[in-house]
Amino acid sequence: MPKVSEVHTLIEHFFRYESGKMIAVLTGLFGSNNIVLAEDLVQDTLMEAMANWTYKGIPENPSAWLYTVAKNKALNSINREKYRNRYALETRYEWQKSEETTMPEIFSPDNISDDQLRMMFLCCHPAISPDSQIALILKTLCGFSISEIGRAFMTSKENINKRLVRTRKIIRTQNISFNLPHKKHIKQRLDAVLETIYLLFNEGYSASVGHKAIREGLCLEAIRLTELVLANKAVDNKGSVYALLSLMQLNVSRFGARIDDQGNLRTLEKQNRSLWDMYTMEKGFANLKKATQDALLTKYHLLAGISSYHCSAKSFEATDWMGILSLYDRLLILDSSPLVVLNRVIVLLQIGKTQDALAQLGKIEKENALVSHHLFYAVKSDLYAKMGKMTEAGKSLQKAIDLAPLLAEKKLLRDRLKKISEKK
Amino acid sequence: MKDYLLIIKTEGCIWTDLSAEQLQKHMENGSAYIGNLMQKGILKGANPIEKEGSRIIKKNQGTLKDGPFNESKEVVAGYFHISAKDTDAAVAIAKENPIFNDIPTQIEVHPLMPIGG
Repeated sequence: MPKVSEVHTLIEHFFRYESGKMIAVLTGLFGSNNIVLAEDLVQDTLMEAMANWTYKGIPENPSAWLYTVAKNKALNSINREKYRNRYALETRYEWQKSEETTMPEIFSPDNISDDQLRMMFLCCHPAISPDSQIALILKTLCGFSISEIGRAFMTSKENINKRLVRTRKIIRTQNISFNLPHKKHIKQRLDAVLETIYLLFNEGYSASVGHKAIREGLCLEAIRLTELVLANKAVDNKGSVYALLSLMQLNVSRFGARIDDQGNLRTLEKQNRSLWDMYTMEKGFANLKKATQDALLTKYHLLAGISSYHCSAKSFEATDWMGILSLYDRLLILDSSPLVVLNRVIVLLQIGKTQDALAQLGKIEKENALVSHHLFYAVKSDLYAKMGKMTEAGKSLQKAIDLAPLLAEKKLLRDRLKKISEKK
Repeated sequence: MKDYLLIIKTEGCIWTDLSAEQLQKHMENGSAYIGNLMQKGILKGANPIEKEGSRIIKKNQGTLKDGPFNESKEVVAGYFHISAKDTDAAVAIAKENPIFNDIPTQIEVHPLMPIGG
């Protein structure tokens, strides 16, 4: 029996994080066509840890404990004749050719970091659709279960399972390697990785549907994955990575003020700014500074810049809207999607450029992405209100209320409608 | 004080459905439970049972059965060796095991016969 003074505790999400590391390393060992085998061995390892530690207590070095067990399980699996033929694809490890049952130190910190990066490139391979990329990242690198991914995407675990099976099949049939992309392609492939991480973040950040804690969890995972990319030496040109990290940290830092004690949504204008998480915000500012180290300017730089204007404003009234508008102008050159135009219209309204806002809104009125988006009608209503057309403002707001997916959003918009009706 | 053997019997392969996060939570509950028993000087030993390799030997019938015993729903998952004032106290300690909240479990409480002295 260990002594009482030797009772150890685990950090939050320890099993999930270690699961991500081990699946990456074991996939490196068995090859990308054997992800399922890696996943199964890791699940077995965690179960064994649970069984042991509930009787023996948590060991002094729980990570090392897991790695030893995982390594033994991998070795057993390799020694089983029926699997042996399947490892021919990957040749990074010498032992595959020999009959020796020894294994190199696969769980070294460098190896863990490299294999997690390889896993990221694998998950974000262009042959895989964005939705499937995210599902596979959550399953392998983030240690989510199929049901947890299902909950995050508001779909059944059967659907997620089907998606994962399909994805692994694409990897197998297209022989997608677990090696890092060639130096020539790494920049382009890194962009794809960042894009997927950003999608994952937005999935969590846009409070349209789903459980709050789960969605915040997705945002934190997106941040963690970006930090993994940053920590790896294989990635030079880290400007866009810092920019994405900064953007996410600056946005996440305002999480605590988005919903009040009664569960009501609070717009930026109504947020209690003292609830903002200054620690995370400072990290966001510091990373934005680092993001400007190379000359490249990405949409993440601009979005982070916009966010930084909001974060540094003492009050909503003190917001530097002109500064924000100039960043939106530049963003529009890189990304002229309707949602960017719509957000720019919000800024135009803030600085009283009503006619401009009207013209811009007209341009995107027929966009499919917006005709069923409540935000579009909410902005339209604001515009009408500024122009003194209260009846139209009310009509648009009613449409926004009908379309808003979240009860809290409906409530927020209804309160606004009440105020408009009083002004009529 | 008297020694007691608590035998933990759980139902089959329920753990395989649990996520890493859930496994960690269950493990932490269990670990807190034994930590508390250790602190109070109640726990004298504990060990989980391996999933594979168990045998049931009925020599008089000449049969020998292979584990794991998945066909019988219950599996001996592990044991605790504790000391307690009496059987009621031992039962109370067994009842506090958080495993009851997690999966279908039975715990057998056996008093150990003092030997020698």
